[in-house]
Amino acid sequence: MIAVLRGFLWLTGVWLAGETLVVLLDLPVSAGVVGMLLMTALLMLRIGRFDDIAAAGQPLIGLLAMLIMPGVVGVFFVADDFAGQWLAVAVSLVVGTLASVLTTLLLMRRCMPAEPGTDATPGSRS
Amino acid sequence: MSDALMAVREALLATPLSTIALTLAAYLAALWAVERLGRPSWCPAVLLAAVLVAATLWGLSIDVADYRRGADWLMLLLGPATVALGVPLYQQLPHIRALWKPLALSLPPAAALASCYSLALAWALGASPEVLASLAPKSVTAPIALGIVEGLGGSVPLLMGGLLLTGVMATLAVSLLAPALGIRDHRILGFALGVNGHAIGTVRAFELSPAAGAFASLGMSLTGILTALCLPLAWRLLGL
Repeated sequence: MIAVLRGFLWLTGVWLAGETLVVLLDLPVSAGVVGMLLMTALLMLRIGRFDDIAAAGQPLIGLLAMLIMPGVVGVFFVADDFAGQWLAVAVSLVVGTLASVLTTLLLMRRCMPAEPGTDATPGSRS
Repeated sequence: MSDALMAVREALLATPLSTIALTLAAYLAALWAVERLGRPSWCPAVLLAAVLVAATLWGLSIDVADYRRGADWLMLLLGPATVALGVPLYQQLPHIRALWKPLALSLPPAAALASCYSLALAWALGASPEVLASLAPKSVTAPIALGIVEGLGGSVPLLMGGLLLTGVMATLAVSLLAPALGIRDHRILGFALGVNGHAIGTVRAFELSPAAGAFASLGMSLTGILTALCLPLAWRLLGL
């Protein structure tokens, strides 16, 4: 339990450091993103106990869906604010996502080297 | 009698704990229901939970602004939770090192197009600048996308709806298009799910295989970082 507290203090401290950088350098990025990159850098430099940070971080990541859920609730109450634009929203999301998935799949098939193992790649010409 | 009830209602609305209880209850109920339905990919638990909360607010005629004020206490945890995403990113570093070349070639266009296709379509269909700003980070994982949208001046509720629809569509698209293209490499499937379908796609990828899941979370983190760094700059340059 103390490990979780220590890890949570790390996460909070790193977020605060991110916020400090955002304000000082006038970055157009959120404090969370800067904090995430800082956290990765700190772990690469072996600063901070990985076990503590993971003990606090894993449950938080598991709860991400619940933490964003209150934000989703709002969409049911803004229907009037965007009247007349819902078709544009729906078409752009549905068609745009189909197109971008297609592009990603084609790009990756182009760029990705064949799998090292024997794992199901009957189409690969070695 | 009704005065007393009104006093109770006032008191309960004044504390964020009632919002937190409602949110937790709705989320747990949604998890249970989705499990019962066999985890359909078109209906993530978040969507169902949000519907439950919205129905409750509507039924008790509670102002959504009151709910949001209480929910801010929960959403405060998004900050440290976003920082915590650095942990899986750190764990993915060996993958990134081994495959940096194909990743460097395919990620930037994939992440940029994920945003551009939808923006172009929405713009062509006459969406307002606020709507465009809300849809721009639609393929980015929610905690990062929230930060981006605040900077761009978009609408948070619209963004969240867009994120949900995008995640569900990306999952459907991968399961429809990949067999048609003859792609069975789980690394590619996972990556496509993570880049386009953020957390919802990543959950689906973990159901395919651990390898797909690892590549999905890699694709999700990298897309999030790249979009968070580039989109606000692009927005500034375009003068939107």
